[in-house]
Amino acid sequence: MAVGSQDGTPHLNAPAHLNAPISAPGLGGPLDELADTARRIHDAIESVIEGKSAAVRLTLTVLLAEGHLLIEDVPGVGKTMLAKALARAIDCPVRRIQFTPDLLPSDITGVSAYNQQLREFEFKPGPVFANIVVGDEINRASPKTQSALLECMEEHQVTVDGVTYELEAPFMVIATQNPIEMEGTYPLPEAQRDRFTARIAMGYPEPAAELEMLDVHGSSSPLDKLQPVATSAEVYRLIEAVRGVYVAPGIRRYAIDLVTATRQTPELRLGASPRATLHLVRAARAHAALSGRDYVIPDDLQDLAVPVLAHRLLPSSEAQAGRRHPEQVVVDLVRRVPVPERS
Amino acid sequence: MRLPITAGVATAAVALSLYPLFDGWNWLWSALGAIVAVIAAATLTARAPVAAPFAPIAGVAGLLLYLTASFTAKHAFLVFVPTPSSLRALARIAAAGFQDIQRFAAPVPEKTGVVLIAAAGVGLIALLVDMCAVRLRRAALAGLPLLALFTVPAAVLPDAVPWPVFVFGAAGFIALLIADGRERLGQWGRPVLLHRTHRAERADSTPLGVAGKRIGFAAVGLSLAVPFLTPALEPSPLFGFGVGGSGPGGNTITIPNPIVGLRGTLTLPASATVLTYKSSDNKPRYLRMHSLDKFDGVNWTMTPADGRAEHRVADSDVPEPEGLSTQVPVTPVTTEVKVADQVPELRFLPLPYPPRRVRADGDWRADPRTLVVWSSRAEAGGMTYQVESLDVKPTAEQLRAVGRPPRDVQRRYSFTPEVSEEFRALTRRVVADAETPYEQAMALQRFFTGSGGFTYSLQVPEGHNASALEEFVMRSRTGYCEQFASAFALMARLLHIPSRVAVGYTGGSLAGGVFEVRTHDAHAWPELYFDGIGWLRFEPTPSGATGQGTASPPDHSLPVTPTGDATSSPTTPEDTASAAPATPGVPRGDNDPDARRGRDDRGDGLLGQDALQEEGLPVAAQVGLGLLAVLLVAALPIPFRLAVRQRRRLAGTVHAAWDELRDTLEDLGIAREPNESPRALARRLTEALGLDSDAADALRRLAEAEERLRYARAGIPQRVAPGDLPLVRAALLAAATRWRRARAFAAPASTLRRLRGLGTYLLDAFDRLDNIRIRPRRT
Repeated sequence: MAVGSQDGTPHLNAPAHLNAPISAPGLGGPLDELADTARRIHDAIESVIEGKSAAVRLTLTVLLAEGHLLIEDVPGVGKTMLAKALARAIDCPVRRIQFTPDLLPSDITGVSAYNQQLREFEFKPGPVFANIVVGDEINRASPKTQSALLECMEEHQVTVDGVTYELEAPFMVIATQNPIEMEGTYPLPEAQRDRFTARIAMGYPEPAAELEMLDVHGSSSPLDKLQPVATSAEVYRLIEAVRGVYVAPGIRRYAIDLVTATRQTPELRLGASPRATLHLVRAARAHAALSGRDYVIPDDLQDLAVPVLAHRLLPSSEAQAGRRHPEQVVVDLVRRVPVPERS
Repeated sequence: MRLPITAGVATAAVALSLYPLFDGWNWLWSALGAIVAVIAAATLTARAPVAAPFAPIAGVAGLLLYLTASFTAKHAFLVFVPTPSSLRALARIAAAGFQDIQRFAAPVPEKTGVVLIAAAGVGLIALLVDMCAVRLRRAALAGLPLLALFTVPAAVLPDAVPWPVFVFGAAGFIALLIADGRERLGQWGRPVLLHRTHRAERADSTPLGVAGKRIGFAAVGLSLAVPFLTPALEPSPLFGFGVGGSGPGGNTITIPNPIVGLRGTLTLPASATVLTYKSSDNKPRYLRMHSLDKFDGVNWTMTPADGRAEHRVADSDVPEPEGLSTQVPVTPVTTEVKVADQVPELRFLPLPYPPRRVRADGDWRADPRTLVVWSSRAEAGGMTYQVESLDVKPTAEQLRAVGRPPRDVQRRYSFTPEVSEEFRALTRRVVADAETPYEQAMALQRFFTGSGGFTYSLQVPEGHNASALEEFVMRSRTGYCEQFASAFALMARLLHIPSRVAVGYTGGSLAGGVFEVRTHDAHAWPELYFDGIGWLRFEPTPSGATGQGTASPPDHSLPVTPTGDATSSPTTPEDTASAAPATPGVPRGDNDPDARRGRDDRGDGLLGQDALQEEGLPVAAQVGLGLLAVLLVAALPIPFRLAVRQRRRLAGTVHAAWDELRDTLEDLGIAREPNESPRALARRLTEALGLDSDAADALRRLAEAEERLRYARAGIPQRVAPGDLPLVRAALLAAATRWRRARAFAAPASTLRRLRGLGTYLLDAFDRLDNIRIRPRRT
């Protein structure tokens, strides 16, 4: 996994084999349907965003792993476009929240309002009540508002005035944010960062892709032409199929080894949490399923280690002084931890 | 406290190697007591700050007190305080001990004096070790006194010291080094740890100790294994057995050089009876005591006799005579010998050669090579014993058909010193007309007893070194049996006939139905080796009134071969006839230049370089064999690797194929990353080595099968397409350089790693043994 740094900010560029097409095992069964549906969604998004196959694939992986995605990059590289394209490709309720410094928690979760006709308090669901929630520029909101997302992201439920409302499955938060060094942003708290399954960077497009983008976007927005290619029920079935992907004991052990390594290395002040392990294995399942496999291999974990782990880690002061980013540390750890041999 | 104790233990471990020197184990307890006394005295003194420099003196004092208490308690004051009389008693015991050591060969009976000397010696070594290791803190230096102690049995015993003894001693020394290392490390102070445990009270030296032990074990193992692999040379003991040895001293039995004593015996004013004997066929027989088989240019000496217990004549027959084949006619003869009472210190039995069975009281042992029967403790004076021996009567054909002796015999009995070219030429002339080794020997005998014009006289200087023998043969031609026998044997060696000098008695004279052997019958004579017949006696010394009175030439050296075989009789006169006319002309017959040239040519063939080269070849062959052995050992991984590959091929499973692939990569020096899954490895190989599509596909199939087996649910078929692995292997080999391929075959890294792993496992086992320690439970 290569870590580019064009402007002092680490950019995560997915490895070449992540661009591999989504493949079907050809055996029939849920995996075939998964591959078919996943390819349709993938192609639909690709028609909007040029040359970002790896990012699209990771987005799909997170969707199938029932996780949440954090897209972090400088403004204008297509973060919101990716989130919106995914939301548009799936025929399901989608809400978009533009985070601003004056956004309140109730603006997200919803409020109980007094219905004069019925003479009782009535719950007005906030934008979080959807299958896909796009949180734009999430780090522009105050930490208090950001925290409002915590409960719904982890527990898929919202509690307002002592009443708990279940969220509909599938539920996915796609948040975009600018790098925290940028003006007018509040850094995302560790607890919240930990709730995102993966963080990806878009990176600048290739010149050829950018040229094509100019052609396409010149006339009209391709997003408008994007038609839904899957329903939420279909996506839910895919998620069910992903749950059935086999994770061998050795692979589980390997995931723990990777996560443990982040806790033990002196380059990190804060290692990955047990939740990170859980997210890593879930994402690996989805990754394997997208590759047409019904079992996880070490390569799945290795491919996902940086996007899944790096945003949760805090570098030690020595690593900071040495300008070592958590991404690089994770890459080194992955290189060091041996893959599981036969059990 | 650990270091002094280890020093004592190391000394005790090395002292154990002395056990073959003693006939019992009491010495060991005394020696251990001495060690304890010395170490305790030195350590206690060192505890007192003022007295510390006097620790070695205290050690000596402790040793003296201990010896006094153990050996001369009744002369001492309060059992252990030495008094003048106790010291004198100690000196007396020690002197007796030294005498015993001179008298007895190992194993020495445990008389008090010997035990005292052993205890004192070991005690002094312990003191030196303590001084080096504990007082001076130079543990490595303590190896020197320990080595000195170890060399005692190595030097004294004819056999090598058993290897377990060496291992034991070496382990003691290593323990001393380790203990020293620990103490040294401990002095750096106490480690700062969060938890104060008992173990943490001193620096943790365990890793160092483990490393030290590994190195130590490896060194000991190598020192044991390497001699087996290198070409072995004939082991030559540091000290001789005493006969003609390198002076007095040493822990060996000393007897006067038998051949040197001859003249003294022969010139005694009165000839005393030494022994009388009766033989079953009533014929006189030479009685041999010593066999001098080594000639260094100065002395004929005896190879140290090999007195192993299994050659005790009371229990078994005398070993087979060397070189005697079953075709040679022999007649068994029984001889009963009675040795006179007054004969002192007769430790070698006078026996007819070759003896087959000896019935004698006492611990008499036969040397398997020379068939000399001897004892380190019994004496033959006053003894009566029976000998069954053989009369060897080779036929004329057998004598004539004698060829070159086997190489080992030739090597052992063929060393000749530098002699002048004239002497060689004379030797060649003497045997000019002889065709076979036997005829050459006969020619030599005729030269000495007839044609050479030699005179027997005891009035000549003693000595038989090479130049004296040349003087004797070339010019003076006057001497007695010492010179005759030595010169004959030397000339035989110049002719490449193995020879040695026997010392003993002639057959004596018949008196009243028994043969009587007197001191004047003491004699030396040459024995020559003939292949298939063995050792035959010759008699160059003149006999009768003008020579050695009772000397007689053996039957086989008489002109008429004493054979009853009718078919061989026609050859005998012819032999004799052809030899006889030539005889008168031999020594001086160098007038005819042609004849001389012809003889010289042949002589060169006999004495020249080819024979010497023959001697040189075996060394080269030995070195070659050694190298071959090393190569064989080095090549051991090859069949091992091939067997592993074959086993995997037969197994045909996915895991077997994958293992084979990985081993092949390792052999070819292609590194494998620890984080590489089968799929990633296949991808990297395909890209890095530029595999063609067939090989790449096969590799991918292998990787996916392995991956499936490892990480997918059970129930996947475990076979692999039989062609895939060979295809991939061939592609990998083709991509490697020639040198890599050769190394993968000759020194497969995967196999070497496994062997190393085995070694590490064994070492770890040792470490675990070491970690078992008994610790008092703390409450």
